[in-house]
Amino acid sequence: MDLQKLVRMANQIAANLDCGDEETTVAAVADHLRRFWTPLMLDELADGFESGEAELCDAAARAVERLVTQRRAGTA
Amino acid sequence: MSGAYQRYARAADLGTPARESAESVGLTVDGVAVTVPVGTTVLRAAALAGINIPKLCASDMLEPFGSCRLCLVEIGGMKGLPASCTTEVREGMQVSTQTPRLARIRRNVMELYISDHPLDCLTCPTNGDCELQEMAGAVGLREVRYGFDGANHLDAAKDTSNPYFTFDPSKCIVCSRCVRACEEVQGTFALTIDGRGFDSKVAAGQDQPFLDSECVSCGACVQACPTATLTENSLIELGVPEHTVITTCAYCGVGCSFRAEVKGQEVVRMVPNKDGHANHGHSCVKGRFAFGYATHRDRITRPMVRDSIREPWREVSWEEAIGFAAGKLREIQARYGRGAIGGITSSRCTNEETYLVQKLVRAAFGNNNVDTCARVCHSPTGYGLKSTLGESAGTQAFDSVMKADVIVVIGANPTDAHPVFASQMKRRLRQGAKLIVIDPRRIDLVRSPHVQADYHLALRPGTNVAMINALAHVVLSEGLEAREYIERRCDLDAYRDWRRFILDPKNSPEATEQDTGVPAEMVRAAARLYAAGPNSAIYYGLGVSEHSQGSTMVMGIANLAMATGNLGREGTGVSPLRGQNNVQGSCDMGSFPHELPGYRHIGDPSVRTQFADAWGVQLDPDPGLRIPNMFDAAVAGQFRGLYVQGEDVAQSDPDTQHVTKALSALDCLIVQDLFLNETAKFAHVFLPGSSFLEKNGTFTNAERRISPVRKVMEPLGGLEDWEITQALANAMGYPMHYSHPSEIMDEIARLTPTFAGVSYAKLDALGSIQWPCNAAAEQGTPTMHVDEFVRGKGLFRLTPYVPTDERTTPMYPLLLTTGRILSQYNVGAQTRRTANVAWHDEDVLEIHPHDAEQRGIRPGDWVGLKSRAGETVLRAGVTTRVTPGVVYTTFHHPESAANVVTTDNSDWATNCPEYKVTAVQVTKVAKLSDWQERQRRFTEEQAELLRHAMATQDSTED
Repeated sequence: MDLQKLVRMANQIAANLDCGDEETTVAAVADHLRRFWTPLMLDELADGFESGEAELCDAAARAVERLVTQRRAGTA
Repeated sequence: MSGAYQRYARAADLGTPARESAESVGLTVDGVAVTVPVGTTVLRAAALAGINIPKLCASDMLEPFGSCRLCLVEIGGMKGLPASCTTEVREGMQVSTQTPRLARIRRNVMELYISDHPLDCLTCPTNGDCELQEMAGAVGLREVRYGFDGANHLDAAKDTSNPYFTFDPSKCIVCSRCVRACEEVQGTFALTIDGRGFDSKVAAGQDQPFLDSECVSCGACVQACPTATLTENSLIELGVPEHTVITTCAYCGVGCSFRAEVKGQEVVRMVPNKDGHANHGHSCVKGRFAFGYATHRDRITRPMVRDSIREPWREVSWEEAIGFAAGKLREIQARYGRGAIGGITSSRCTNEETYLVQKLVRAAFGNNNVDTCARVCHSPTGYGLKSTLGESAGTQAFDSVMKADVIVVIGANPTDAHPVFASQMKRRLRQGAKLIVIDPRRIDLVRSPHVQADYHLALRPGTNVAMINALAHVVLSEGLEAREYIERRCDLDAYRDWRRFILDPKNSPEATEQDTGVPAEMVRAAARLYAAGPNSAIYYGLGVSEHSQGSTMVMGIANLAMATGNLGREGTGVSPLRGQNNVQGSCDMGSFPHELPGYRHIGDPSVRTQFADAWGVQLDPDPGLRIPNMFDAAVAGQFRGLYVQGEDVAQSDPDTQHVTKALSALDCLIVQDLFLNETAKFAHVFLPGSSFLEKNGTFTNAERRISPVRKVMEPLGGLEDWEITQALANAMGYPMHYSHPSEIMDEIARLTPTFAGVSYAKLDALGSIQWPCNAAAEQGTPTMHVDEFVRGKGLFRLTPYVPTDERTTPMYPLLLTTGRILSQYNVGAQTRRTANVAWHDEDVLEIHPHDAEQRGIRPGDWVGLKSRAGETVLRAGVTTRVTPGVVYTTFHHPESAANVVTTDNSDWATNCPEYKVTAVQVTKVAKLSDWQERQRRFTEEQAELLRHAMATQDSTED
């Protein structure tokens, strides 16, 4: 899928879930992505992030990292 | 109240409307004792006692008028002969309805009427179905002593301008029922009695032909007419019906109940059902008149297949078409994986049909790639209301509006998109309720006869969240919140966080004015009015949801309602006005890729197990693709097969060129529809669907009301839609063996707690049911969140205003917003194939005179409408309805195709497209856009490929 569109969507989610507390925001973004995105969309975004092609805002980047870690650990 | 086949009889009429009162009154009518609520008229009390007093000007749809003098009665102890329609009952009254004196007077009255009425009963269109004729019989009229040579109106010319009904003033008795229906029922005030005395006559507008007047063709006047003065053209053509079936309209989210009045397999007319709980006997031009599409010559009634979209269609048997489709889908999965296919359900289909499609996708396709067209309209409602209140649905019944003191309409245009509810809302406004309209455009409700908004907050498109935050800021900063309610019913930690957030000065009306363009003092006044209530109700539409912050705005609305205590009782609430007939139902039925029926997440193991056990399959625990994701995945080559039931994504979804690129990339597109719509032009399999008249099922309207859809005629294609889905499932190796949609509903009830008490038997008994319907609410639930919110404590969510990326630039200096018009419906596939085109045969671009002048544009000019997504050409309408800087159009016609211009921007939470904000430029042009030229050629090519199939069919039949 179009990586830049995924990036735009993820950043948009982070901007809208921004509650002023970064840790809470990151948790909310990760939860939202897990609940509403397909695993393939998450994988493609994570791959893009790891390869440096996806310019994610801090909260979205941390949420993606968290989901990748959880998925690798089999907890998400 | 079973609505199954019943012999035709005109709907019972009790003469005057019901009155609500806790106190009752006992009286006798012709010696029969009857007890009725205080305020009831003698005419109605008699009817309730089974005694029909002759009447002509009275109807239980209209307030008493007292003009015809037929319903006179004698009442013990009262002087004279009071009109029973205007006389209220009193305790102990003794009423006589049949005496020699009354009989003589009634005959005299009828004699006068008939002296100026044609005596052509045998050739009259309403012969056998005429109240005047019936009354002449009832009073025993045998002669007209006055003769027929005097002055009369027998030569008055007919008005046939309206495509659906004829006005024959020669048959008018000037009872004013039509005028009163236009005022009281519809609220348009298009009719009047013109002239005085003998010259009195019914006139539309300024004594114009009906079509040229402000008449909205709702048909209330036709329904009210007791003679053949206002008569449906279909009745004139076909004669009186022979049986009736109660069913539910397939147009907007109001979900009107109708009596389909039928002859054999042919619908003579659709008459709104007076027992209909959503519409109470009223309808609009679409529901009452625009049903001709169901038998339009464009209907495709035989299955067709082809290997490529450049090949001619080939008509085949159902078995071959289903086998072809199933084979293609399995082939794709074998090559590209289980997740390479999916399905789209439609809000135009029944609950049972959408339930079956999502079951097909989950159980037979083995993934969760199922979505519904609610994705592109009200998906933010589901997200926003679920996360704040705990349930993805509106909180009220439509009737609740009659107890509202302050009505707020946000991003909705009820008079056009939900006309029957708009009539009810206008009735309440005429009773004195206050009105706040929040909309960039001056919709009709802002100012129309006897209705004027107290505040019209004409905000800039895309600034809804700034506005709702400003309203909440005023409530909190001025101490107008409902503290006790909040403390008792809401999550206080979340409230404190929200309160802190909202009180930030950046959310004040003074600060947000630069974004919204609405003067701060007006926002403050509106907020004070809403908070003061005491009953304040919010109604909203797609102008809320179809934004990049649609979900945030829905949460902001819920926050505001909670903060002011306006949830959980009649007259208040948060009510999304759903665009299509079954938006609520299609969402309820698990059409979203992350949710099973009843809004339960697919990732929840306990819920998933319940369905897996019932369906006998393992279910994928991960969310599937949403519609826009499907298109992106198709363009990327990851998604190759799609089953579309009843949707036209190529016209209705945004960024048309992206959508058609995605559809072109599919290896197998299966379209199940009535017509070869825009999407079907890209299809490999066409499965002929059935119209709402051709099947059984249920629709769920915007107030969570489940209403029966009953078969009126046999499906033209041979199968009801649920049967087609079932056949596809079986062909794919997943067995389905339902024999009737009631069995599907029984399964839904078994698996969905909010539907546990729903059955066809209960629907027959009650007429309709508002879910939740279960052991805790056996008769259903008109008002939600009464004692506590569904989620327990109401949750205030933070709603930061994040401006959309879609902003004006020197290249695209105007903002386009889109909407609907009364006479057309959604993509117009149905209404464009009816006489409704008399009102709207093309989409028009509304532009403010200032912007038009700058561009040298005059009304009717061809203009190019261009955005970064594409360009189309349509005619301009110059109007101050829109503010400078904003242009507006509808999306009902594929030739103008407004969605060529809309972009892929979407709501952050749900991917609901941002239809309501597109930066555009408008210029005067002399020819169609390049896209339109390409589309015209493509359409011609597809029409030719279709003709090939038809020709094959003809030669086969020869």
